[in-house]
Amino acid sequence: MRSKPTLVWLQALTCNGNTQSLLSSNHTRFEQFLLAFDIIYHPSLTNTITLKEVVSSNSEIDFLLVEGAITSQTHFFSLSDMSVKTILQTLAQRASYIISVGSCAVFGGIHAKFEQNNDIQGVEKSLEHITPKSNHKIIHLTGCPVHPEWILQTLFTLKAKGVIQLDLHNRPVELYSHLAHHGCTRNEYFEWKVEAHDFGLKEGCLFYDQGCRGPMTHSSCNKILWNDVSSKTRVGMPCIGCTEFDFPRDNLFETKKNIGIPAEVPLGISKRAYLSITGVAKTFKIERLNKKIIDENS
Amino acid sequence: MKTVDIIERIEGEAKLHLNWKNGTVHDAHIAFLNFRGFEFMLEGKSALDALVYTPRICGICGQAHLYATVNALEDIYKNAGIALEVTPKAKSLRELGLIVEIIQSHIKWFYFFIMPDINKNSTYFDERFIPLKGAAWLKAQEASSSIIKALAVFAGQWPHTSYMIPGGVVSDPTSMDMIFVENYLDKAITFFEQNVSGVDLHEYLSFSKSENISDISKDLKIFIQMSFEQKLEKIGQSYDRFFVISDDLGFVKGKIKHKNSSKFEMSKIHENSDFTFDLKTNKQKKEKYTWAKSVKYDNLFYETGPLARALVQNRKFIKAIHKEYEDSVFTRVLARIDEMAFLLHKAKDIVQTIRLSEDSFIKPKTDLKMIEEGFGIGVIEATRGSLKHDVTLHNGIIQRYEVITPTVWNLGPGNALEYGIAQKAIIGSKSVDEATIILRSFDVCSVCTTH
Repeated sequence: MRSKPTLVWLQALTCNGNTQSLLSSNHTRFEQFLLAFDIIYHPSLTNTITLKEVVSSNSEIDFLLVEGAITSQTHFFSLSDMSVKTILQTLAQRASYIISVGSCAVFGGIHAKFEQNNDIQGVEKSLEHITPKSNHKIIHLTGCPVHPEWILQTLFTLKAKGVIQLDLHNRPVELYSHLAHHGCTRNEYFEWKVEAHDFGLKEGCLFYDQGCRGPMTHSSCNKILWNDVSSKTRVGMPCIGCTEFDFPRDNLFETKKNIGIPAEVPLGISKRAYLSITGVAKTFKIERLNKKIIDENS
Repeated sequence: MKTVDIIERIEGEAKLHLNWKNGTVHDAHIAFLNFRGFEFMLEGKSALDALVYTPRICGICGQAHLYATVNALEDIYKNAGIALEVTPKAKSLRELGLIVEIIQSHIKWFYFFIMPDINKNSTYFDERFIPLKGAAWLKAQEASSSIIKALAVFAGQWPHTSYMIPGGVVSDPTSMDMIFVENYLDKAITFFEQNVSGVDLHEYLSFSKSENISDISKDLKIFIQMSFEQKLEKIGQSYDRFFVISDDLGFVKGKIKHKNSSKFEMSKIHENSDFTFDLKTNKQKKEKYTWAKSVKYDNLFYETGPLARALVQNRKFIKAIHKEYEDSVFTRVLARIDEMAFLLHKAKDIVQTIRLSEDSFIKPKTDLKMIEEGFGIGVIEATRGSLKHDVTLHNGIIQRYEVITPTVWNLGPGNALEYGIAQKAIIGSKSVDEATIILRSFDVCSVCTTH
């Protein structure tokens, strides 16, 4: 690989949230990224070359990053007089590595919910057997959006080693083995089955009523903090499971229950094990976990 | 002669069709050819799920969509006669989040979107503004990613948090969290003082004459020099009509027509799709050329955005600049940067007056599912101007969801009687570069325009 590998970023059916996430990178990390990679084209950032020129050029692309879902329907979506599917297929044939950035690029995500357009798919399906020149599998970075570090760590790993270990869904193992639950500051409430009584509180776990998908969602949101400072579940917003393939599910702000018990239990835990532990935990009334952490009036 | 150019770096792209006569643009069409169907996606979804969907209309102004959704859902309670309490603290946290989002967007727009073009056309070419390399460009990335921390500390992340919810906000920040917010606001103020304007914030906010532009130094001075070199103060004028839809964030709602300010009635806002493509491909009529709709107030087009906000609320410096340079590209850009100063000051004010002992969230007395027929309107001022969401619910399920974005006000197609705002501004241009800069001066967001 070149000492400064080339990178092309394509935006398809997207809100550009992954671009905005990348631009929100820690500044030191972003500078390291700019020094290590040669960004030939990014639709929001570069101003030296047009998309048409990038598509018609013959130059090789070390890393093709795609943001957004793909469609062949030019009635709904065309870029520079081409369908995004055609653009993707043309660029992919010149790319050594292909990285789908975000849930829309991986499997259609929220954009696939526009059902009046009957052809909205992820990058891999849209490529119809075109494979990257390195023969490396297409790398899936799910998330809506993806954390900028997930992009940077994937790129730096590939640059250094040429290969990255992937899970069953072709997501980098190191970034997606953890659950969003891991590292959540509300974990103790989960352990002792103390639910959040409502939104807007520092105390309590959001799994029981507010719909939190943390214990079922593969992501490092609470390991690699967002904007270097926090995460949704830490501040009190339920995890909406945006890194999983069923995103967006329905009724994101409530926990589906059967006879008062969450319909889904944490990943890999049997319902019997979950219920036994819950039963035991609930027999204890732990005072510390049932009062305010900080009294703002004192 | 006709020309067709593709304009990139506008959060997507647009096609600029120009008709020329004697070296001057005498007709212009702006076509947005990317449609993602958010209003259709939302049909059949639970009301609260809109809090997750609508921020994803746009990666750069998602919090404005979130705020508009919350306002619309809370309006449904109001219209159903159900009392709903939102504490001043929750409102402050909402406003603070949106203000931070607007500030980061203004920084990015100036350094990533408009300055590279103005710089490219200038004989004073300054390599500090070269994308991805120049020192000023890199500093802007640092400043925009830094101010965002002030939002993430109570909203969890940016982009795409849904921390606002009917009844308040989901988070309950501590005193130290708010000190942290203030630290990052101060850092942004330092950036504004040392890199953008070269003037102390309070001194800047006291500017009241157009001559004050000579007190400005640093990057904004470079913009001012290049503007006068390229005559940006003489191009880009539209109808000089302005519209502000909400008075949250310290703005003042109202409209200006023939230099007269007045109030408005929400019922006089109408969207039109005469020139907008239909969903079904076999039904296209010849006159349809864009996915953008258009919107009028009382049958007239109005400009929305930072310039409108500055004029409607009578901010003296921009008022004076506007008096001298009208609604030109120069005035529009300066109003956007000026708004950074105004909002930084406002944000500090909010942080210093917020009462953390109040509730963050007060659960609404009834679930939206219990309201058989619900209708609500949510309005807010977003980065690029007035944003309006209309929601119709049946037992908590969305029947209809309509979004009118700021860019629809500014960039939607005109009709036989009158050109749209940006169309009107572009007509009379002498070159494609000139027309492009005029278009860019509206802070075009392609993804919002069509959604």
